[in-house]
Amino acid sequence: MNLTENNSSCDREINDSLRVPLLALFGGAAVWLIVGLVLGLIAGIKFHAPDFLGACPVMTYGRVAPAANDAVLYGFCIPAALGVALWIFARLSGQPLALPLVPVVAANLWHLGVFIGTAGILLGASSGHTWLEYPRAAAVILFAAFMLIAVSAAATFGWRRQQELYPSHWFLFAGLLWFPWIYSTANILLNSHQLPRGVVQPIIGWWFANNLVFVWLALVGVGTAFYFLPKIAARPLANSGYVLLAFLTLVFFGTWCGIPQGAPVPAWLPTLSSVAAALTLVPLLAISIVTLKTVCGSNVSCKGGPFCFIRFGVMSFIVSGILYVSAACPQYSRILNFTWFGAAQTQLQLLGFAAMILFGAIYELLPQVMGKPLPQPALAKAHFYLSMIGVLLFFVPLVLAGVVQGEKLADANIPFADANTAALKFLRVSTTGQMLILLGALLFAVNIFIMTIQWKLGIAKTVIAYIKSPLETAEVKS
Amino acid sequence: MSDENKSSSVPSAGEPVATRSAAPMWIIVTTLVLLFIGGIYFDRHSGWFNPKVYAPYTSAENLEGFQPQSGAAAALARGKKTYEAVCGICHGPDGLGKPGQAPPLAGSEWVVAKGFNRLAHIPLMGLAGNIKVAGKDWSMNMAAMGAALPDDDLAAVLTYIRSAWGNQASAVEGDDIKKIRSGMGGGSQPMTHDMLMAMPE
Repeated sequence: MNLTENNSSCDREINDSLRVPLLALFGGAAVWLIVGLVLGLIAGIKFHAPDFLGACPVMTYGRVAPAANDAVLYGFCIPAALGVALWIFARLSGQPLALPLVPVVAANLWHLGVFIGTAGILLGASSGHTWLEYPRAAAVILFAAFMLIAVSAAATFGWRRQQELYPSHWFLFAGLLWFPWIYSTANILLNSHQLPRGVVQPIIGWWFANNLVFVWLALVGVGTAFYFLPKIAARPLANSGYVLLAFLTLVFFGTWCGIPQGAPVPAWLPTLSSVAAALTLVPLLAISIVTLKTVCGSNVSCKGGPFCFIRFGVMSFIVSGILYVSAACPQYSRILNFTWFGAAQTQLQLLGFAAMILFGAIYELLPQVMGKPLPQPALAKAHFYLSMIGVLLFFVPLVLAGVVQGEKLADANIPFADANTAALKFLRVSTTGQMLILLGALLFAVNIFIMTIQWKLGIAKTVIAYIKSPLETAEVKS
Repeated sequence: MSDENKSSSVPSAGEPVATRSAAPMWIIVTTLVLLFIGGIYFDRHSGWFNPKVYAPYTSAENLEGFQPQSGAAAALARGKKTYEAVCGICHGPDGLGKPGQAPPLAGSEWVVAKGFNRLAHIPLMGLAGNIKVAGKDWSMNMAAMGAALPDDDLAAVLTYIRSAWGNQASAVEGDDIKKIRSGMGGGSQPMTHDMLMAMPE
C-alpha cells in the first residue's frame, strides 16, 4: 500500500469535508469576538466617563457588561473551540468529517442563538444569572446547536481508524459531554417557570460559572494545546502519565470549585470548594510539566506564529489557575472577594488562555483546510503581539486593582467610595489593554474574512466557468 | 501512532503521538498529601454537611454555644453562670472545693441529698462551725452568699450543683426557694451542723 499517496488523498478528503463547517463556525465567531470586545470596551469606558452613552438604555453598564462577556464566551470561544475540535477529531481519526452538513446547519443555528441572546440582554430580557443571561429561547437554540455539532464530532470520533486514543481525545470528548450536561442542568433549574427559592439560585449559578469558565474552557483549551504543541514542535507529547493524571484530577476536583468563601450558604459548600481548588494545583502542575517537557528544547522559531499563541495560552492558563486557587484560599479571599480580582481572573481565562489558544489553532489549521496560506501573515503576527501586550495590560492592573481595593474595603475607616475610586488608575491601564486586544481581534477578522471571500469568489468563478463552458451547450444539444 | 513515529522527528504533517509513561510517584504522593490536608481542613470547618452551620461557625457544637436557650438547659446555663460568678471562687469551677477555703460540692452528701431544704438554707443563712463533708471534717464560716440572689437564680444554682460534676439529684424550682425563704423567719444567725440536722431534709 502506498502510504504517502493514501495520506495525501485522505488529507484532501478531510479538508474538503471541513471547509464549509469551519468557515461557518469561525466566521461567525470572529464577528462575535469583535462585538463582544467592542461592548466590553464600552463597559470599560463607563468607568472613566460615566455619562458615555448613558442616556441610551440599551448601552447601560448592566446590559453591556454581561452582553460583552457572553458574546466573547458563547459567541467566540465555544464555536471556535467546536470548530477546532471537529478538525482535531477528523485529523486524529484519519477520516473526513462525519455528517458534514450537520455542523453547517448547527453553526448558523448557534450564531442565531447568540444573536437572539445578545439582543435579548441589550433589550433588557436578561435572566440575571451570571453566564446564563441569555433568554430562554436563545438557550434552547444554543443547546440544540451544540448537540448537533457534538453528534457530528462523536460520529467522526467513532469512525476513527485507530482504536488507540490520543490525550486530546480525552479532553475534547469530555468537553463535548460537559457542556450539554452543565448548560441543560443550569438552564432547567434557573430558566424554568419553577425557580428554586433563595440561596439555591446562586449555588447553581456558581456551580455553572465554574464548570463553564474554569472546567470547560480548560478541557477544550488544554486538549487543543496538547494537540498543536507537539504537532508544531514535531516532538511527541511528553509523559502521558502526567496527562492522564491532569485530566482525571481536573475533571474530578475542578467541578467542585466555584462557591466563594463567605457566600451566604451552609459552611460545607465553600469549605469543599476551597479543598477542591487546592487540589486543582495538581492538574496545573502536571499540565505545566508536560508543556515544559514538550516545548523545551524544540527549535521552533515562531515569531508571532501559531506556536507563540498556544504557548502564551498555556502560560495564561497556569497563571489564571493560580489566581483562581488563591482566590479560593480563605486568607486571601477575605481581601479579594467582591473586587476586580475575580474579573481579572475570568478575563485572563477567556482572553489570555482560551482565545489565544484558539487563535493559534485557527491560524495553524485554516491555511491547511483552505489549501492556501494566510492572505495576510503579517497581520497575524501583529495580532499576536497586540494580543499578548493587550492581555498583560488588561489583567495585571485588574489584579493589582483588586488587591488595593480589597485592602481598602477591609479597613473600616476608609469610606466605600474611596475604596472604589482607588481602582480607577488601574482601570485606565486595563482599558488601554482592552483596546489593544480589540485591535488584534480586528486583524484576526480581516484574515478570516479575506479567506472566506476568496473562497466564495473561487466558487463563484468555478460556477461561472462551468456555466460558460462550451461543453455544456454541446450536452444540451445532444 | 505507529512506533516509528515516536522519535522526535515526526513530520509536521503527521499526527502527534504521546510518550507512554506512568505518572511518577511523587505527584501521586503530592495529590494524596493535598487530599489529606484538605480532609483535615474540611473536618475543622465544614460542620460536616450540617445545613444549619454557616461560616464563620465551624461545627454544630460551636454554633450551639451561641444559641439562646430555654427550658431545663436554659436553667442549667443560668445556674452555671451564677455559680461561676458567686460560688465558684471558693468552691471552684469544678466543684472540688479548696483545702482551707471551702469543702467540695461534687459528691457532697449535703448537695445530693434527696431533699434540698437543708442545702438551700446554707446559702440563704450562711454556715458556721464544724461540718462533715464527703468523709472529711471542715471547720469554716460561710456568709449568706445566696441571700441577695433572686429566687430563680438561687434555684438555678442549686439545680446546677445538684446535676453537675457527676452529681445526680432533682432540680430546684424558684417557687421552692420562695417557700423556704418565707419559712425562715427573721433570724440572721448562720446555720450550724446541729441546726441543719434538726430541720427536715
